[in-house]
Amino acid sequence: MAEGIIKRLGKMLDEKEISCTELTEKYLSAIESSNGDLNAYVKVTSDEALTAAKAVDEKIASGESRGALAGIPMTLKDNISTKGIETTCCSKILEGYKPIYNATVWNKLSGEGAVLLGKTNMDEFAMGSSCETSYFGGAANPHDITCVAGGSSGGVASAVGGNIAPYGLGSDTGGSIRQPASFCGIVGLKPTYGAVSRYGLIAYASSFDQIGPLTTTVEDAAIVYDAISDYDPMDSTSRGNCGKNVLSSLKNDIKGMKIGVADEYFDGVPDDICQSVENAVKVYESLGAEIVRFKLPALKSALPVYYILACAEASSNLGRYDGIRYGYRTANYNDINEMVCKTRSEGFGAEVKRRILLGTYVLSAGYYDAYYKKAQNLRGSIVNAFADAFKDCDVILAPTVPNTAFKKGSAISDPIQTYLTDICTVPVNIAGLPGISIPCGFDGSGMPIGMQLIGDKFCEDKILNAAWVYENTMCGEVFKPSSYGVSL
Amino acid sequence: MVTREDIINIARLSKLYIAEEELDDMTKAMDDIVKFADTINSAAEKGVEEFDNINNLRNAFREDTVVPSYDRDEILKNANDTGEGHFLVRKRV
Amino acid sequence: MQYEMVAGFETHVELATNTKIFCACTTKFGGDPNTHCCPICIGLPGVLPKLNREVVRFAIRAGLATNCKIANISKMDRKNYCYPDLPKAYQISQYDKPLCENGYIELSNGRRIRLNRIHIEEDAGKLIHKRGDTYIDYNRGGVPLIEIVSEPDIRSVDEAKEYVEKLQQIMRYIGVSDCRMQEGSMRCDVNVSVRPMGSDKLGTRTEIKNMNSITFIGKAMEYEFSRQVDLIENGGEVEQQTLRYNDAENTTSPMRGKEDANDYRYFRDPDLVTISVSDEEIDDLRKTIPELPFEKVARYVSDLGLSEKDASNIAKYRRIAEFFEEASSGVKNPKTVANFIIGQVFRRLETEDDKESFDIKTTAAQLNELVKLIDEGKIKNNLAKSTLEKMLDTGEGVKEFVSESDMAGLDENAMKQLCEKAVESNPKAVEDYKKGKQKAVKSLVGFVMKESRGKADAAAAEEYIISIIK
Repeated sequence: MAEGIIKRLGKMLDEKEISCTELTEKYLSAIESSNGDLNAYVKVTSDEALTAAKAVDEKIASGESRGALAGIPMTLKDNISTKGIETTCCSKILEGYKPIYNATVWNKLSGEGAVLLGKTNMDEFAMGSSCETSYFGGAANPHDITCVAGGSSGGVASAVGGNIAPYGLGSDTGGSIRQPASFCGIVGLKPTYGAVSRYGLIAYASSFDQIGPLTTTVEDAAIVYDAISDYDPMDSTSRGNCGKNVLSSLKNDIKGMKIGVADEYFDGVPDDICQSVENAVKVYESLGAEIVRFKLPALKSALPVYYILACAEASSNLGRYDGIRYGYRTANYNDINEMVCKTRSEGFGAEVKRRILLGTYVLSAGYYDAYYKKAQNLRGSIVNAFADAFKDCDVILAPTVPNTAFKKGSAISDPIQTYLTDICTVPVNIAGLPGISIPCGFDGSGMPIGMQLIGDKFCEDKILNAAWVYENTMCGEVFKPSSYGVSL
Repeated sequence: MVTREDIINIARLSKLYIAEEELDDMTKAMDDIVKFADTINSAAEKGVEEFDNINNLRNAFREDTVVPSYDRDEILKNANDTGEGHFLVRKRV
Repeated sequence: MQYEMVAGFETHVELATNTKIFCACTTKFGGDPNTHCCPICIGLPGVLPKLNREVVRFAIRAGLATNCKIANISKMDRKNYCYPDLPKAYQISQYDKPLCENGYIELSNGRRIRLNRIHIEEDAGKLIHKRGDTYIDYNRGGVPLIEIVSEPDIRSVDEAKEYVEKLQQIMRYIGVSDCRMQEGSMRCDVNVSVRPMGSDKLGTRTEIKNMNSITFIGKAMEYEFSRQVDLIENGGEVEQQTLRYNDAENTTSPMRGKEDANDYRYFRDPDLVTISVSDEEIDDLRKTIPELPFEKVARYVSDLGLSEKDASNIAKYRRIAEFFEEASSGVKNPKTVANFIIGQVFRRLETEDDKESFDIKTTAAQLNELVKLIDEGKIKNNLAKSTLEKMLDTGEGVKEFVSESDMAGLDENAMKQLCEKAVESNPKAVEDYKKGKQKAVKSLVGFVMKESRGKADAAAAEEYIISIIK
């Protein structure tokens, strides 16, 4: 039975085995010794962390009851706004930018006494699948530091997988939580669109972005999801969690649960990955679940639809970086227009520029109908296809990524090839569904393989329970702690 | 087929400079990406009405009540250059 | 050859809501630079807009007051262009689903200027250029605007001026904006083209941007009209372009900058959700639309016997119209009230703004009381006039200045005595009269009125005086 770190640390605090300050120091020194290898953190906030820890210690001393996340160290992806703490999206263009307000998720967590260890590495503006487009260089995979941690939330995955953070929050626009979770052998939950407030999350693609937890166990994911999912009046697209407490829905029984398997998810996926997902199917069958095999032809257009719409929104979202109100400004220019153009040309990396240009192209006069409008309509048909699928099954089981963590710098220079590896993750974002990636095995070279459980909107409880049951049955075989960081 | 002229035009709209020597590579890269995007035009859309928003939400409104604004120091804090309480872009010679 | 002017208007009106369109900062005009700002209205990374409910209500009321059809379903779009006064590099506006469509404004000559649409959007900040440096103030950024787009139905400068004045009056009447052009809360872009008289196809138009005075609108249109006519007459062609009006030289000149070859790449704003308005809500809002100025004018003329001119002078300003209506309730002749307002009250309200704010000491009830005394013959008109002046100075009621005895009137003997006194003490006037100088009697009557402090019945006095002189 896989006990989550959050509960374990919580018990240690409650039973005074360790003080919150000691615990925080433990993690801070682990970061100090391991971050050189992992490059998971781009900013470590020791002072803020120790101040927060002290406050929790005082509460505990005064006999106040401790909330589930109070005093538990954690980390945030560098695109989640933290007041007074540099938040750069790992882009040169936001160098030195210190938000003057907090993202709603951070308000909630710090309000509950969460202890922020630092901000973690990511692909620039969350655009990438290896964390290598980061202005600060990529994060390493704790299972083999010559391999990438994945992306875009590579830093969080590396930190949690490398035990230099008990848990962290990432963001998922086309797989940016689930893919690095899969690469680093941990759990990553992308909630239903609207379940978690986007207020303060620096936008990549507004209609796809969602914040979610990266943890070592499903139980931890449930605890964090319960803490951050809520209606937020600041976010017009926010719905909240429909009053569900998912932690309480983790119960060891999935008899009769209908688990759907769609052929399209396995097209062109290497055998070892297909194999470990098929093994999971057998495990579920043995646990009394009913397997429903079906087709999802609508997925064929998922990738281009995603890239057209996400880049279109990004081209607009990233227009504001003009060097006037915050961030980097070029040194020499003749007039404002040149200042803006030079600032952006020097401040953005190649992948970000590519996506801005593609987005501008598909929205520009003469191309709008052929690309943006068409893609919007196809998005509608993908939404409907999933809606139909969930009439026949409770959750869908699929690979998370058609590959495992690859060597640093080996990412094919051809952007299209990289885009193609998002094939299993983007459909969930297109349809706004919840998806969770959990470890389900290892490839030939011992790198983790992840599988994905997808649910209908606001059915986090179902996918978490299915994931939890699998984890409890299999954790021995599919989970391997890394040699890095804090050992408990 | 994406042309150099297309790239020059969208770069202008995007407020990005693309050096003459990068122009051909960028044109090629964009042409590949656009060809990849073109595959959607082979996909059949079953006459779905225009996609609205994921959860089909309606009327997310704010009440018209004033909340005090931020201190100007806060507002200007991250600016590269300021003057007389304004964001400032100086002329360079 | 004779040419005809063809003009259309795009009018931006700042809405008088308390807060900005997408955040809770105040919309107050002015204020120190960047003191009416928050992360949302300066477009910090990660912020999200939340639509102000009142903005939707105001825009719908503006649509209803201008005979528009209100859309049950509408949405917000992003208009992408990069300019330093626009913090997000896109303006949140409405593209293909505006809140209001197909309305019209009717002019006094009976012509209807069709309105294509009214949509809501956010205002931009202000740029100040000094010695080549650019100072940016975002206080105005995010203030709610409605853009009222007319069809090219305007045919003359007079029609244009009346169109703008009517819009201004209506928006003020329904309270959605103060429409102060000098403060920029109402701004017009004017499209002008010319065509041979009688032709029905449109010529190439030019757009004069950001006009903030009705006088200048007229001048700019006249200048642009003759400029275009000259061009054509001399075999040239009008080029479609955006112009700036220079009031010092009264000329227009082409504008460069953000307009050059723009492609706004409109798309639905993914941060905002669909706006849906039920017919019930629309009907409830319709009930809040007051009687509009032109409706009042018609009623004042037909029901209250005012002249067209007086009626529109009063109806033009909502506060004055309401004052007039209250003051004339139950009086025999509302014209008297109108005369007092246009005569004595207006003398104290020189500017348009004075009339608009209508800040006077006397209440409608006080004027009503005064006029009723005239109706009852208790005081005479000229006493009423002087009394009203005192009332306007002090804000006191009529009773403060006119005693019961004043109002008691003058009994016949007292009147006769005064007349005799007048004849005795003015031999000169009596002589003149006897010499046939009819007018001379007036000075004698004047004497009586003066002595009686205006209480005497002038007609009766004159009659008696004549009788004693003979």
